[in-house]
Amino acid sequence: MKKKVLAFLLVVLMITAVLAGCSGPKNQSTPQEGAGGEKSGGILNDYFESDPNGFDVQESTLIVSYHLARHIYSTLLRYKGDTLELEPELLAKMPEISPDGKTYTFELKKGIKFHDGTTELVADDVKFTIERMLDPKGKGMSKWLFEPILGAKAFMEGKASSIEGFKKIDDYKFQIILEKPYAPFLHNLAVPAASIYSEKLVKAAGDNWRLNPVGTGPFKLKSYVPNTEIVLEKNPYYFEEGLPRLEGIHYRIVPDATTALMEFENGTLDVCLIPVNEYQRIKDSGKYEILEGVALNTYYFIMNLSDPMWSDVRLRKAVAMAIDKEKLVEALYGPRGTVAKSFVTPGIPGAYEQGTGPAYEYNPEEAKKLVKELGNVGKLQAWQWGGERISDANVAIQAMLKEVGLDLEITIMESAAFRQARSEGKIPASYGNWWADIPDPDNYLYTFFARTNQMSSGYKNKEIQDLLEKARYEVDMEKRNELYRKIEDTIIREDVAIVPLFHLKNLLATQKNVKNIILHPTGVNIYTYAYKE
Amino acid sequence: MAGYIVRRLIMALPVLVGVSLITFILLNVVPGDPVLEMMGKHVDPLTLEKVREQLGLNDPLYVQFGRFLFNALRGDLGKSFKTGQPVTQMIMDTFPTTVKLALSSAFVAIVLGITVGIISAVKQYSFFDHAAMITALAGISAPIFWVAVVAQLVFGLQLKWLPISGYSSPKHMILPAVVLGIRFAASIARYTRSAFLEVIRQDFIRTARAKGLAERAVIFGHALKNAMIPVVTIIGMQISGLLTGSLLTETIFAIPGLGRLSIWALSNRDFPLVQGIVLFTAVVFVIGNLIVDISYAFLDPRVRLQ
Repeated sequence: MKKKVLAFLLVVLMITAVLAGCSGPKNQSTPQEGAGGEKSGGILNDYFESDPNGFDVQESTLIVSYHLARHIYSTLLRYKGDTLELEPELLAKMPEISPDGKTYTFELKKGIKFHDGTTELVADDVKFTIERMLDPKGKGMSKWLFEPILGAKAFMEGKASSIEGFKKIDDYKFQIILEKPYAPFLHNLAVPAASIYSEKLVKAAGDNWRLNPVGTGPFKLKSYVPNTEIVLEKNPYYFEEGLPRLEGIHYRIVPDATTALMEFENGTLDVCLIPVNEYQRIKDSGKYEILEGVALNTYYFIMNLSDPMWSDVRLRKAVAMAIDKEKLVEALYGPRGTVAKSFVTPGIPGAYEQGTGPAYEYNPEEAKKLVKELGNVGKLQAWQWGGERISDANVAIQAMLKEVGLDLEITIMESAAFRQARSEGKIPASYGNWWADIPDPDNYLYTFFARTNQMSSGYKNKEIQDLLEKARYEVDMEKRNELYRKIEDTIIREDVAIVPLFHLKNLLATQKNVKNIILHPTGVNIYTYAYKE
Repeated sequence: MAGYIVRRLIMALPVLVGVSLITFILLNVVPGDPVLEMMGKHVDPLTLEKVREQLGLNDPLYVQFGRFLFNALRGDLGKSFKTGQPVTQMIMDTFPTTVKLALSSAFVAIVLGITVGIISAVKQYSFFDHAAMITALAGISAPIFWVAVVAQLVFGLQLKWLPISGYSSPKHMILPAVVLGIRFAASIARYTRSAFLEVIRQDFIRTARAKGLAERAVIFGHALKNAMIPVVTIIGMQISGLLTGSLLTETIFAIPGLGRLSIWALSNRDFPLVQGIVLFTAVVFVIGNLIVDISYAFLDPRVRLQ
């Protein structure tokens, strides 16, 4: 009997050893050197936490889809390296803008081929892309990108068969006319959701388009297994000489952050978003490169001004002064965060730049005085977006408010329920974050505080809301920036409608042999110039 | 027997309709809008309305439910709001993976659980019995995510014997199957032990021993079959549960199974997909219970299927 048990154990051991022998990192290839000395080669092993559910970026607002769109498609304009400066991508040069700020004249680069190697990009494709996004019968989810174009509204309502504001001059030249001057319009064209599609190829693919994308980007789709992996390979027809440098990208879907970190430490992933509590260990190990970059985001505590609970500005000021932003960011994100002095992320033209600290410094004594003045304010309410337990951030905010005599009750709302309540303006208060789509104050301030606000701010300051409309259509950039500084000053200092808490940096760990990944502030990383040694 | 199976399946129909109705009501009662989930940060009221119209969400609720039921009876569970793919196809894409995981972990659980349970019962109060039952208690109590991470760390990262995550080869399935299986093995071991203890104290076992049968013949020939009835019930229920997906294991080991699909469907308020998965799950349970009931007849000749 004992012999049989031993034999069985031996067999198990042998099978495990054989299986283990089969393992080892896949996707290795030898790097090459170009004529100019620039290196290229390698397949990057990356991951996403969730599946993109297809590749039609017009249908999706997920960051995963944006990342993939950056690789597979191209936009008319893009950002230069890791800056917020726009440069032409599919265009031959920067567009010309008429003095009234309404007419934009574009010229496409000639000879740009889609991944099939035969279809050439022409002006009709741009028109098709815009109309497909705005099509009332379609599934375009980022209509806001093209909404400023003249006639967009009529088209979206089905009252026009084409968009009045698009004028084709020839196959490569076209004009876009806006309904009103809208300064950030060019930034809209650099958002991955504004990627240009081929009319011919989309129509030919029909319903299969979402799974068979054909773009002009540096990489093309090789294979896709839903919820498992996405394999991209180099586009041999890419319009920029010598690019991309990688042979391909192999994405796996790894939903668990701890698992991803282990795969990274195991060498089976080349890049990893490091969980905050592991950051120091990974950095100190010295085995990896840690890439850092600014990101367009702000974490905040917002109070619904339409809710009678928050009607007294003294209460809102007390909240702003009760929260120790420095302690909060240090505890939650350590070196990844910086205290916010404004809601619009610093670095964006027009961001609020008065003083060096937050609008309301941590001042518990002053906060206590205000609370005393107010008398009994009762139990305050705030909601949390999903989660199984109250988040550390909310626990900290709750404790800080308690210190000054304010009792904040936090209710966890499942994410879909939270989103619906937010669109109906029913959230009493919440700790949240905003990751901007474009580097413009309008994307922050208009989204949260305009008359059509969707973020449950309940903001109702007529003068400021008029200024928000005015700033949106102001052509003179200096004047426009000045307007935004005034608007933000009123919103965060006088009205205390929102308490900006901190900003987070983009952070990515890579294996040492991975070079030239660009972390862009918009959160969409660029792999066009990356390679593996 | 065939008549019995047909009768049981017909009896299951009202259960399936009931389950679908309850799911439909719950989906429409809880807050959360499927179209808002698609739109992301920038909500445009005009698009919201148009898409709601396209998806049939503006129809009266009884029309929506009637449509679902009518199509479901014809084998069509509709299309996912989010991906536009047929729900049946999405379920069938993930189900084989879930079956693979369920069967491999069930194999680990049954072999380990029954073996340990029998030895513990036969050698009651021995060191092995105490050690096995304490380990089983720990196995039931230990959170699955903890066991999974420890297994990944030891066998994946440190020893490098097995892949940390993924499911592309049989060796990828070893860790998740063992992690998931150990938990069920623990409860099977405890059930087997108590059922066995009850059986081996009965008169017919004493008689078997008295007439001079070898201990092995007593245990495997007489006691085992009799002790299996409660154990089979537990195994049947657990396999049905495993076949509907294990969210934590699938998430930690990056396995694209039914568990992850269910949560994804629910958090996106993908109504047709949620409805389809719930109906499918109900069918799995109905069939699972039926198989358990049929297996009683094989284990115990006194049980007659009627």
